[in-house]
Amino acid sequence: MNRRLGGVWVVFRRELATVRRTPGYAVLAVGLLVVLGGLVAVGGGGATGFVPAVVDLLLPTEVLVPLLAVVLGYRALFADAASGELGVIRTCPVSAAGYVVGVLLARTAALVVLVGGPFALVGAYVWLTAAPDTGIFATHSGVDSPVLFLRFLALVVPFGAAYLSLSAAVSTIATTRRSAFALGLLALLAGVLGGDLAVLRSLSAGASPSGIAGSLALSPNGAFRGLVFEHVIGVSFAPEGGFVDTGRAVASLVGWTVVGGVAAVAAIALGPRVDVAVEHLRARLDR
Amino acid sequence: MAVFDPATARSRRLRLALLGLVALAAVATAGAFAADPSESVPEPVRFDDAVELGLSSETDALMAGDATLPRVQVFYSQLQYVVGYNGIASFVDSRRDGRTERQFGYPLVAYVETFDHRDPGTTESGLFAAGGAGGWTPVGEARYVVDSDARTPAGPVVVPFASRDAAAAFADEHGGSVVGWAAVRSRSFDVDSAATVRALAPDRWRTANDRIAAAERRADRPASVVVGEDAPTIGAAVAAAPPNTTVRVPPGTYEETVTVNRSVTIAGAGSGTGPGATRVVGDGNGSVITVHARDVAVTGLRIAGTGNRARDPEAARASRESEGGTWDTNIQLGYGYGDAGIKAVGAPGLVVDDVAVDTEASGILLRDGSHATASGLLVEGTDEWQDGFMGVAGMKSRVTVTNSRFEGGRDGIYLHRADGSIVRNSTFVDNRYGTHLMYTGDALVADNAFRNELFAGVTVMTRPAGHAIVGNDVRNSSAGIQASGTRTYVGYNTRVGNELGFSTSARGSLYEHNVVVDNELGARATTVVPSSRVVANDFVGNGDHATAGAGALRVWADGDRGNYWDGASVGPHAPGSRAYRPTSPVDAALHRHVSAAAVRESPAARLLDALRGTVPGARSGSIIDPAPAAAPYHPERVDAVTGAGADADGPVRADWRAAGEPAGNATATAEGSA
Repeated sequence: MNRRLGGVWVVFRRELATVRRTPGYAVLAVGLLVVLGGLVAVGGGGATGFVPAVVDLLLPTEVLVPLLAVVLGYRALFADAASGELGVIRTCPVSAAGYVVGVLLARTAALVVLVGGPFALVGAYVWLTAAPDTGIFATHSGVDSPVLFLRFLALVVPFGAAYLSLSAAVSTIATTRRSAFALGLLALLAGVLGGDLAVLRSLSAGASPSGIAGSLALSPNGAFRGLVFEHVIGVSFAPEGGFVDTGRAVASLVGWTVVGGVAAVAAIALGPRVDVAVEHLRARLDR
Repeated sequence: MAVFDPATARSRRLRLALLGLVALAAVATAGAFAADPSESVPEPVRFDDAVELGLSSETDALMAGDATLPRVQVFYSQLQYVVGYNGIASFVDSRRDGRTERQFGYPLVAYVETFDHRDPGTTESGLFAAGGAGGWTPVGEARYVVDSDARTPAGPVVVPFASRDAAAAFADEHGGSVVGWAAVRSRSFDVDSAATVRALAPDRWRTANDRIAAAERRADRPASVVVGEDAPTIGAAVAAAPPNTTVRVPPGTYEETVTVNRSVTIAGAGSGTGPGATRVVGDGNGSVITVHARDVAVTGLRIAGTGNRARDPEAARASRESEGGTWDTNIQLGYGYGDAGIKAVGAPGLVVDDVAVDTEASGILLRDGSHATASGLLVEGTDEWQDGFMGVAGMKSRVTVTNSRFEGGRDGIYLHRADGSIVRNSTFVDNRYGTHLMYTGDALVADNAFRNELFAGVTVMTRPAGHAIVGNDVRNSSAGIQASGTRTYVGYNTRVGNELGFSTSARGSLYEHNVVVDNELGARATTVVPSSRVVANDFVGNGDHATAGAGALRVWADGDRGNYWDGASVGPHAPGSRAYRPTSPVDAALHRHVSAAAVRESPAARLLDALRGTVPGARSGSIIDPAPAAAPYHPERVDAVTGAGADADGPVRADWRAAGEPAGNATATAEGSA
């Protein structure tokens, strides 16, 4: 057990070092900060509180966080396979699961820093600067509170993690860097647009709107948006929620992450055997 | 690399630190979801620090401190300001249509003023009164006495108490029953709105007709004395004339001051400047004609030679030192005691017709219930407003002014506690303020023309209720119409070429069908907490169409009906399909620079468009019109001031009496607040 954990830890450290040596990721984080900061500054939501700031950030978050997660994930497992390092790693006492978990954990840690950092900075900025327009009258903060932004932050991370693990899984079946990129992009588009388009489609096909709270939670974007409405923005609208089925949405975010991980493990573990099978098949056909 | 070795001490420390961080993040996250931000309930604030909505708190009885209005302060979830309601009915009524909730969120907590141990009772006139301000109790915990014999100036009052015993004691004494908040919430209150005032405007116009007709009948009296034939001076003639007769004053110049102590008509030959006119010239001290009797009429005169004392500084000072006076004795004494062409003291029923006054102070000064009717009045004041005073000053005196003209001096018409006054069809030029109302409610200011006013065309100060300011035409002034107060109807006015067209200072009010053209600034949203409707106005060619002061987002529309903003439809969209934000720098430039349309179509601008507008209570100082109109609501009035005939200075007339009938126009139902 300890030994297995030790293997994960080594992979984790190695992967972190890889991320640290890729300056492009830091540039992406800076870019994210610029976009978020610009939206809060120009949108005006951040001038008065956290809830309006979150309202302003929700849409860009739904696009940019998956994008960053995919960028972090699409080469995570592919690169080692392409360079042949995976073959070397196979000779070490690290299981396929340990290897995938180590890589994904490291990439997730990077995600926490690269995505969470800019969001946290924006939150700190709002905290320091948000104030009422005038001090002539008595003011209060309403339901607005840093706690709500913390919730938002806490939802952004599993949202990004789901995309990270999905894009990593998808990348394991790629054979070239270009195809890994294309597959990652496909996962991004399918995730960001696909789930909600499916909900819209089912509604226009006559599905009952009472099922929205459940079906919305199925895609990572829907689950994330529903949770933000339920636990961050919705708090200031009405005392009772009902935007999404919270349990199902959380399960969906965790589930997509796990599915991605399991698929990656399967691909890594079974990949060589599949190769062998394919070779066998080819040999038999050639005969 | 050594760092990859899982066995080193450094690696272990790192691992522990990482574990600690993860644990900390987990605890913080769990805490963030466990804590309920809506649970922290703010403490009540001083009511003066709240932003007031609802009834006017400045009716006479309330200002004098005799009566008390139970008040409510509410903390809304999205609004940073504490909202104060005068009267529980105002708060309950505001929750009825859900509009407040959509704009400000739900009430986190509401406190009501409770009157346990404050000697709650009634004044002689049945108004609710209490000794001093009450304490604050959450609405859900308070007990309420309903249907008692206590009232507010606006109607029945709900009297709140912190304890059931105190409520029961009040109910024993004043009748009514004790109920909880749920019962109060579900009651429906008859709260007047600005739409009521709109419906009343044509009535007030008819009231003016009646008053003028009655005044004409009053003035029409048989001749008894002719100055020059039966008596040497006007004063002697008035003294000799029997009541209810007419003193004829033939053409000529009469150098005297006249005191009228009986109900007569003084009829000159005309107020013109030619030889056929009758001129009365005072000695430059005091007033020229002083009226102490009721139903006096003054017609066909040209008056000059007034004193130049605008007010009585001695009286004002004395009142500040004495303690017996009412709350506004200072102004009453100060403003009510100057010199004038015609001065009436305690003389109701004064009729002024075809009179010109060349004055160094006031034209007509009315005091102590000298309700007066003036038509065909011309007041020529001083060139510098600091030197002169009011064209008509009504102190506790209701005036009805029609077809008159006021040039120069301080204010054309100044009214102080002159409820129900009507000013219409008159022209104001080169005054400080054209029409200036203080502590005056339920007035009608209609179909007047204002030109070159130094401060503003129409200004309403303090916080009165129920004014209708309709069909006026203000040009080349510092400000068009600035009305504060509550339940004010500002409609069908035309403002051209002013520094500021109008401000939405009045709360719970209705601003509609105004044409706002070529002003430096079309409109300014002032009240911090939006509670008025601004809809169906035409904004054309202003430097800036509208700006907003501090406060929540103002939604200037009524459901799917917005205002017309020239420039709003520039670009590839169907006119009216795109929300217009006069306070956004890009939208504000649309009618001045076509290139702004290109910027407006950028992904960044459209993204921002998509983002803004939710949580309106927490958005700061801006205006949105979600449904801008494709074409002006009143193209004929816009054309009249921008088209070929724009140079004509004649006032633009709006047919508001036909359009303003209650059934013709249902703007007072759906959403949108300013």
